[in-house]
Amino acid sequence: MNLSMTRIQAILIKDYKEFSRNYAVSLMVLMPLFLAFLYSKSGSATIATYFLSINIAFSMVTTYVQCCLIAEEKEKNTLRSLMLSPASLGDILIGKSLFVFIITMVIVALIIFIVGYSPANLFILAIALILSTVFYIAIGTLCGLFAKTVMEGSLIILPVILIFSFGPLALALSSSSPISKIAEWLPSSQLVLLAEALEGTYTTMDVIIPMVAIIVWSLVTWIAAGFIYKKRMVD
Amino acid sequence: MNAVIDVQHLKKTFNKEVALQDVSFTIQKGEIFGFLGPSGSGKTTTIKILTAQTEKTDGDVLLFGRPANEMKQSNNRKRFGILTDNSGLYTRLSIEENLLLFSNLYQLPKSAVKEALDFVNLYSDRKKKISQLSKGMMQRVTLARAIMHKPELLFLDEPTSALDPVNTQHIYNGLRKLNEMGTTIFLTTHDMSEAEILCDRVAFLHKGKIRAIGSPKDLKKEFGDESITVELKNGACEVIQTGEQDAEKLFHWMQSNEVSRIYTNEPTLGNIFMQITGSDLV
Ligand SMILES: Nc1ncnc2c1ncn2[C@@H]1O[C@H](COP(=O)(O)OP(=O)(O)OP(=O)(O)O)[C@@H](O)[C@H]1O
Ligand SMILES: [Mg+2]
Repeated sequence: MNLSMTRIQAILIKDYKEFSRNYAVSLMVLMPLFLAFLYSKSGSATIATYFLSINIAFSMVTTYVQCCLIAEEKEKNTLRSLMLSPASLGDILIGKSLFVFIITMVIVALIIFIVGYSPANLFILAIALILSTVFYIAIGTLCGLFAKTVMEGSLIILPVILIFSFGPLALALSSSSPISKIAEWLPSSQLVLLAEALEGTYTTMDVIIPMVAIIVWSLVTWIAAGFIYKKRMVD
Repeated sequence: MNAVIDVQHLKKTFNKEVALQDVSFTIQKGEIFGFLGPSGSGKTTTIKILTAQTEKTDGDVLLFGRPANEMKQSNNRKRFGILTDNSGLYTRLSIEENLLLFSNLYQLPKSAVKEALDFVNLYSDRKKKISQLSKGMMQRVTLARAIMHKPELLFLDEPTSALDPVNTQHIYNGLRKLNEMGTTIFLTTHDMSEAEILCDRVAFLHKGKIRAIGSPKDLKKEFGDESITVELKNGACEVIQTGEQDAEKLFHWMQSNEVSRIYTNEPTLGNIFMQITGSDLV
C-alpha cells in the first residue's frame, strides 16, 4: 500500500478541525472526565473503580469518535472524494486512527490524574493501554463501516459501550458464575486483571496472558473490519 | 494512440436493470467532449465506470490506453479530476480549508489553492464554511477541487447546473483556458447551449445507447434542413429552400422591399435530440 506522511498528516488535521467543531461528538469526550471526577470525590479508590472510568473512556471516546468519523465520511460522501484523490485507504485510516489515538491518550492520562491513580508499573500499564486503544479503534472502525449514517453509528455503539465498559463489573460476581467466566475474557476485564496483578507480586504469565488476549481481540476485530470494508464499499 | 478515452461496447446492468446497453466512443487528447442525455440515461454511470468507482458489466474501457480499473491506483488518480453532483465537501471546514486538504493530498504547492479559488471566482469568500454556501458556490468549490492539480483529463458531471449566467460565463472561460493548455474534458449536461458553446464533439445518450455522435456543426448539417424562413411586411411567413430556384423568389421580395425578417431554420441540438429519440431532453 502506498502511504505518505504528508497525506496522513493532512487527514489527521482535517479530522481534528471537523471534530473540534462538531460539538455533538466532541462534548462526549468530556463525559468520562466528569465521571472520573465524581469517582474521585466518592472516595472509593480501588483499581476496579479507576478502570471503570478508563474503560468508559475507551468506548465513549475511542470507539465512539472513530465510529462517528467514519460513518460521517460515508454519510456525506466525503470518503468517495478522498478515495478519488491520491489518498490511499491506508492514509485515510491511519490519519484518522492517529487522531483518535492522540485524544484517547490525552483523556486517559487526564483520568489517571483526576482519580489519583499511581500505577506500580507504569511502563507495562502504558503498553497495555496502548494495545487496548488499538483494539477500541478497531471496534470503532468496524462500527463506522457498518453504519450508513452517524445516527446509525451512535445506535450501534450502545451495546459496545455496555459490553466492554461494564463487562468488567461482572468480575465482582462469584467466579463460578458463567457470566463472570465469559466477562473475564473481555479485553476490558483483562486490562483490569493486569492492572490489579501489577499492584502485587506478579508472574510473567500474569502480564503475558492479558496482553495476548487484548492483541487477539484487536487482530480479530481488524480482520472483521477489513471484511466489512470489502463487502460494503465495493459497488 | 492519442485516444485519452476509448470505450467499446460498454454494458452496465444494476441487478437486472440495464443502465448502459452498448456504448462506444473515443475521445482524443485535447478534446472537449459533451455527453448529452435526459435524466436516467446513464451519464453518471458512464463517468463512474471511467473513474473506476463502479465495475462495468461488459465491454472494453481504456483510459490513457490502460484498463480503467487501473485508475484505482494512487498515482493514476493524479491524472484526472472529477466534479460530481454530490459534492463530498467537509461542511464544517471553510472553502479554503477544504481545498488545502486536497492540495496536501495531491502534494501541491501552497499557491495552487489561490489559483483554484481564482479560477472559480471564490477568493474573497474563501473563509466561508461550506455549510453556509449556496448550491452554486458549492458547485464552484467542487470544480476548484477538480482542477486544482491540473489534471490531464477532467470529468465534469453537470458542472454549471446550479450557476448564474455570470459565473457560468466565468467557468466557461476558465475551462477553455484549461483546454488550451492541453486538458481533455469530458462533460455531461442537459444544457444544449452549453454543449454548443463548449464542445468540440457531442454524443447523444438515450436509454443507455448512443444515438448520434459528432461535432455540433456536423450534426446540424446531417439532421437539419437547409431552409430559410422569410417574414414579409404583409405578415406572411414563407419557407424557402437554399438553392437557385428559391433565391430568385427572395431576390424578388427584396427588390420590392417586402422583406421584414430573414432567418435560417438551423435546428438546435435540442431539436436534433428530439428528432432522433422522439423524446425531450430533461
Ligand atoms: N447504484 C445504482 N443502483 C441501481 N441502479 C442504478 C444505480 N446507479 C444508477 N442506476 C440506474 O442507472 C440508470 C442511469 O443512471 P445515471 O445516474 O447514470 O443517469 P444520469 O444520466 O446521470 O441521470 P441524471 O441526469 O439524472 O444525473 C438509471 O436508471 C438509474 O436508476
Ligand atoms: Mg447524473
